[in-house]
Amino acid sequence: MSIEIKDLTVTFKNGVTALNHVDLEIPQGIFGLLGENGAGKTTLMRVLTTVLTPQGGEVIIDGMRYSESNYEKIRKKIGYLPQEIDLYPNLTVQECLEYMGDLAGIPKKICQERIRYYLEKTSLAEHQKKKMKQLSGGMKRRAGLVQALLNEPEVLIVDEPTTGLDPEERIRIRNLLVDFSEDRTVLFSTHVVEDLAATCQKLAVMKKGQFLYAGGIRELLSEAKGHVWLCQVDSEIKARELEREYHVSSKQYVDGGLQVRLLCEKVPEVKCIPCETTLEDAYVYITNKGK
Amino acid sequence: MDKEIKICLPFYKIAYSVFFVAVLSVVRGVSLTDEIGIALEAPMAALAAVLCADTYVQEIISKRSEVERLYPMKSRMGSMLKRMVIQEIYLLILAVAGYGMFYMIQKPRPFYGPSLQIEDELRMLLIYTAAIAVTLNFWGILSHTLSCLFRSMWVGMGFCLVLWIVTYSTAGERLLGKWNVFSYTFRNTQDNGDLSWTCGKILCLLLSITMAVMLPKIVEKRG
Repeated sequence: MSIEIKDLTVTFKNGVTALNHVDLEIPQGIFGLLGENGAGKTTLMRVLTTVLTPQGGEVIIDGMRYSESNYEKIRKKIGYLPQEIDLYPNLTVQECLEYMGDLAGIPKKICQERIRYYLEKTSLAEHQKKKMKQLSGGMKRRAGLVQALLNEPEVLIVDEPTTGLDPEERIRIRNLLVDFSEDRTVLFSTHVVEDLAATCQKLAVMKKGQFLYAGGIRELLSEAKGHVWLCQVDSEIKARELEREYHVSSKQYVDGGLQVRLLCEKVPEVKCIPCETTLEDAYVYITNKGK
Repeated sequence: MDKEIKICLPFYKIAYSVFFVAVLSVVRGVSLTDEIGIALEAPMAALAAVLCADTYVQEIISKRSEVERLYPMKSRMGSMLKRMVIQEIYLLILAVAGYGMFYMIQKPRPFYGPSLQIEDELRMLLIYTAAIAVTLNFWGILSHTLSCLFRSMWVGMGFCLVLWIVTYSTAGERLLGKWNVFSYTFRNTQDNGDLSWTCGKILCLLLSITMAVMLPKIVEKRG
């Protein structure tokens, strides 16, 4: 199952172009969508889930073109977890999933089996009798993920599923997404680079409604190769001075001061050594290229 | 159905609606039993507009509508219909209970003669129940439809409030006459044979049916 996006354009009524003539191919497996807030990730996902109708271009899913007449068939193939979904707070986890399964038109018996299976998989089985409003943020996201998987979708679209979660929950959600991507296409949107580094082999980087990069993580890393430098300074003030002159992808306190990772086309005019490129470096490099 | 009840009738809705009717039965004075229905119709209409405004809009606010867009329209509309029926039945029970509360708290004098005529009083209650059922249905579905159309329960409630003020006024009474949506309230209570007020209720029913037919299109278009 693959998704093809050709020359896609979405312009809102206020004149803002959220997607500007973009092309992308999303293959089977887990595919990352990386970009700052407002880059257009959610808009793209809303188009893919048929919530938004684009002004131009086309989307083809499994050989089927996005159009009113195909929406019913397309919708059956998709599972969606929006960025901020508040599932029925007065229902228990079990009731909520049963209710959503019923709305999705899944036969009761099959739905019960799937709920049991996915609650076990997401370690929510012991919390199934709790009301949704009693769950922690991470548990709610996991319940949301189960909801998205109930109709066994061929394409799973998850919008920033790890935002606001503690590190342990984030790892848990990431692992679940990897598990669920085995025989389906998972589109995983985030602005947390670390999430994609741990889950995807392919990704697209978005900025201001356009793709700056689309392809393998290895190729993205090689684009930034030779442009990352490690520099040690003894105070925050000096680190700030470096930030004014160069793009800094990260800072870390170490013995004797701060270690700063600089991104620079040429060798920086400060004492530094070349270093191994991380995905975060590559992301900062690509989003600031040409500045 | 039990899940729908939990979704559309949470504790706070039950609490404020019961409180509203209880306060109304204490502060709104009636001297004769035929005034009870008049005292209840318009306030219950306002309550219906408030209570039903979030029937579907709660799905939009919580972003659940984005997921539900992937579900068949038939099951989405089915769940919406169930919620409306639950809320309307609840409001009707409350309206009848409110009638009883007026009786108990205000102790009005019987309309038909000096002593209480059970048969006449029951007939008045039955007519009131039928009229208020139509009124509640109309205002509930109106507020729900407008909220869906504008994707905001505040807009839905606001429009209803304007219409409520216009129709529940002397000008509204004069202008619309027997076709007023509050025709039961404005009816001639002295003339039992005058059933022209049912025109207003028939209009309410027709408008409710029209809105019910339009709803799937609105939800599909507006999401």
